[in-house]
Amino acid sequence: MKVLKIVPERCTGCLRCELACSYMQTGEYRPAKSVIRVSPFEGHTSYAPYTCPQCAEGWCMTACPVGAITISAVGAKDVVDDTCVGCKLCTIACPYGTMFYDPDTRKAFKCNLCGGAPACAEACPTAAILYEEVVTEDWLGRFADERFGHALAREAR
Amino acid sequence: MPRRHLIIGGGTAGMNAMRTIRTEESEPSEITLVSTEKPYSRMVLPYYLDRSIAESHVYTATAKVLAGWGVKIHLGRRATALDTGANRCTLDDGTTIEYDDCLIATGSSPVRAPVPGADGRGVHSFWTLDQAKGVLGEITPGSHVVMVGAGFIAFTILNSILALGATLTIVEIAPRILPRMVDDTGAGLVASWLTRNGVSIHTGAELVTIDELGGGNSRRDSRGRTRLRFAKGADLLADVVIMATGIRTNLEWLKDSGIVIERGIRVDGHLRSSVPNVYAAGDVAEGRDLVTGAPAVHAIEPTAQEHGRVAGANMAGKSVTYKGSLLMNIVEVCHLDVASFGAWDDTKAEATTGLQPERPAYRKLLWRGDRLIGAIILGPSSQIWTTNDIGMLKGLVQSGAPAGRFKERLGRNPFDIKPAYIASRTTTMLLPETVLGRPAKAPDDTPVAV
Repeated sequence: MKVLKIVPERCTGCLRCELACSYMQTGEYRPAKSVIRVSPFEGHTSYAPYTCPQCAEGWCMTACPVGAITISAVGAKDVVDDTCVGCKLCTIACPYGTMFYDPDTRKAFKCNLCGGAPACAEACPTAAILYEEVVTEDWLGRFADERFGHALAREAR
Repeated sequence: MPRRHLIIGGGTAGMNAMRTIRTEESEPSEITLVSTEKPYSRMVLPYYLDRSIAESHVYTATAKVLAGWGVKIHLGRRATALDTGANRCTLDDGTTIEYDDCLIATGSSPVRAPVPGADGRGVHSFWTLDQAKGVLGEITPGSHVVMVGAGFIAFTILNSILALGATLTIVEIAPRILPRMVDDTGAGLVASWLTRNGVSIHTGAELVTIDELGGGNSRRDSRGRTRLRFAKGADLLADVVIMATGIRTNLEWLKDSGIVIERGIRVDGHLRSSVPNVYAAGDVAEGRDLVTGAPAVHAIEPTAQEHGRVAGANMAGKSVTYKGSLLMNIVEVCHLDVASFGAWDDTKAEATTGLQPERPAYRKLLWRGDRLIGAIILGPSSQIWTTNDIGMLKGLVQSGAPAGRFKERLGRNPFDIKPAYIASRTTTMLLPETVLGRPAKAPDDTPVAV
């Protein structure tokens, strides 16, 4: 399946992905409702976007007591709004921290790959977010590890 | 002859086991389900109580779906004895069922405080669907609801009671609320948050009797109220009393079965009891704790689900070893998220905390060496980082990622979980992990039996 491949070295922290995501998901330009989140590393000298890796287990999906999270046509774990009751079990079951809860609608929400045309990938001006036929992996681990290494070294000095 | 599976209990564990048997088996088998109630999800009853979902929404499988899975059902029946020598189960109507393998998933029942009047007409438990219906009809705007007990179960329906326009008083015999979910600091924050939101909390309140008013035969006065009397302090008058004073696992019926029972039915990594063709799952099972490695009873929804799936896969002929269950709970009260994981109450662990009383927000991280073994997290549910941090803390505890070099930093600021989570390569450790050794299937993707 096609997944979001993140190339953190290319991210400039412009946050266009968050804007595009929130617009696609909610109809509003509200980064607070984005399910891709750009984080600063090494004291705001570098950035990287982070979102659901569409893991094989689907901890959110198997935990849901009412079967409200399913696998969409493009292979994304997707919340069925009409079925979700907002019990938040998925938010505690997902070990990636990529489940969200909307207090306005009282529903859980998450990355559903925009049905196969991810707005974040399209909006990214530096191709830090790609939508490709690859096996999902830990796109940020090595990058963050190195950046964190620098920061910890500086703190130690 | 096809293999005969007997599932005793139609809750989360039993349902997941049946679904997994149908997904994993290589040859068609017979499944018989014994269930006292139509299968439904207890997790969603609070949303039925506040009328945000209809009754039809609570059921996890309709008769049609079960028929599609080829499940033969003894509905409204209770198992009363298990003869593990003869592979035979006896039901309360005298029916006997023979099996090749069997899953015990009989769950728990609510326990009421042992005080006079606890069985009165105005006193409710909130555990089963029928009990939820009983409470639903009683609460109207302006009702005074008294909740006896301040544990997790009580707190799951707190928002619903307030949403129905009732006023709420919580009475708890212990000196603090949520004793099995958060520490004293967390409990204090939740208590003051609830007080600010108009909920009265009486801790250290020893209930003595629940009795009638006006001296008549009825336990209630002309308004239908009930009086609660305490060892110390003023009486309370309640329109509705809800007893949430704990649960007890349904195991008495197994006392002559020969199955080894400690705090629950001892199960191995395949969810097998001491009798090899008898499995146990969910609240009744005492299986491996992922964090401590020791046997533990985790009477929580995610454990019932994982136990049920692993037991089902093994009953279907696969060999699936369970890594162990992670204790976790989350409840939202008046837009405050309260969650805890793993060994959150381990007094021997190295603990660091962070407190922001004005938000309010609280974090407690518990370490053993390099590894995070437990956490407590409180924060406003409107702030997405509360939700995201809840998941990342779960991931750190679940994966056991070596995060020791961030310990000092997280000790200074336990509100900045994400960089440490990512840099510890937690995702690398988690991505290959699946409960059944294969990608999970969507909930509606269960083969129909032929």
